[in-house]
Amino acid sequence: MSQEPELPDDEALAAEHALGVLDAPNRVLAERRMAQDFAFARLVVAWRYRLAPLADRLKPIEPSAELWTRIERALPANDNRSLRLWRGAAISGLGLAAASLAAIAVIVLQGPLAPAAPPPILSAKLDTAQGQHLFVAAYDPQRQAVVISSLVPPGTDPGHVHQLWLIPADGKPRPLGFVPVGASVRIPLAPPAAGLTDTQATLAISVEAPGGSKTVGPTGPVVAKGALTKI
Amino acid sequence: MSPTLSSDPLSALIPRIAGGDRAALRQLYQATSAKLFAVCLRILSSRDESEDVLQEVYLTIWRRADRFEAGRASVMTWISTIARNRAIDRLRARGPLALAAQIDDMEIADKSPGAEARLETAQSVEALNACLSQLDARTQGVIRTAFFEGVTYEAIALRLDIPLGTIKSWIRRGLLKLRGCLEP
Repeated sequence: MSQEPELPDDEALAAEHALGVLDAPNRVLAERRMAQDFAFARLVVAWRYRLAPLADRLKPIEPSAELWTRIERALPANDNRSLRLWRGAAISGLGLAAASLAAIAVIVLQGPLAPAAPPPILSAKLDTAQGQHLFVAAYDPQRQAVVISSLVPPGTDPGHVHQLWLIPADGKPRPLGFVPVGASVRIPLAPPAAGLTDTQATLAISVEAPGGSKTVGPTGPVVAKGALTKI
Repeated sequence: MSPTLSSDPLSALIPRIAGGDRAALRQLYQATSAKLFAVCLRILSSRDESEDVLQEVYLTIWRRADRFEAGRASVMTWISTIARNRAIDRLRARGPLALAAQIDDMEIADKSPGAEARLETAQSVEALNACLSQLDARTQGVIRTAFFEGVTYEAIALRLDIPLGTIKSWIRRGLLKLRGCLEP
């Protein structure tokens, strides 16, 4: 048994975050810290693994027999890693956000003026460094607009805003707009940005003071990002 | 807690899954889905939502199998962590009502035949249980509640009608003891 009277601060925060007892603002701070501080992220993951065996006391319960079929259907037709990257965002049952995104994609595709071969819609799932989904986005090249849904729980960190960035092949971030917490928003792109929105580009979200970054790139930490890929 | 490859029969599946082998994913699903479903159901108390989360969990495994670090955790530990995190995220997305969720008495030690053999984590489970049992009952209780319900310090304090500072110090002391016990 350890003789230390207390966990060191970082370790206490990591353990509390892994256990899940932090309130929403502190949880966001811990997530942000994980995104920036590799050593801290390792501490959190170590605590998650340490606590994981708690789940093992549960008696196994079979899910419904058709669930495997559902999962298999959601896997890509072609087992190819590059194709696989978009799958989570497109059809992984992310709940309302993914469902509404799919609905939007369908509406767009079925629009009355859609030509025979419209340019492909692109999508991106914006993850934290630890793979937590925070946003899902789709870009329709025909209408030159991004639709993005925030999966961040409403009411989280009201003192900051989430700013969306396009990082094209040249690596220079372009600000696209703001994404309200827990909501979906359509952001039309100006032609220069639209021209750069392709499968070479990445979408990213930074946490900024109200009003957003005043410089050419993100000022606050980038909390989530994801590559654009064809649906 | 650094299980060796040989003690983890599931670990051979991971490189195959990373290489796009569906049969390997299916094998992993067959070996682990009832366990992970129990985790999701314990947290969410809804079969439909738990199945949605479970689907997301296996798709995550499919996509991220190449990032599995065999030296850090067993496969079961890794995927049950993914399942718990996703289920808690889903629970929190429901909003404040989540705090009113009923606690079902589902937490029964799994003594079914083959349970131990099925789980390569048996050792780490035993170790954690042994260490938890060294904590007093109420500290064990609040740690379990936090683990399965994703409730904050504040929510636990309200629910038990105990000052926030007291709850914090129980949990922090409990976690410190756990760490000391697991890694002497």
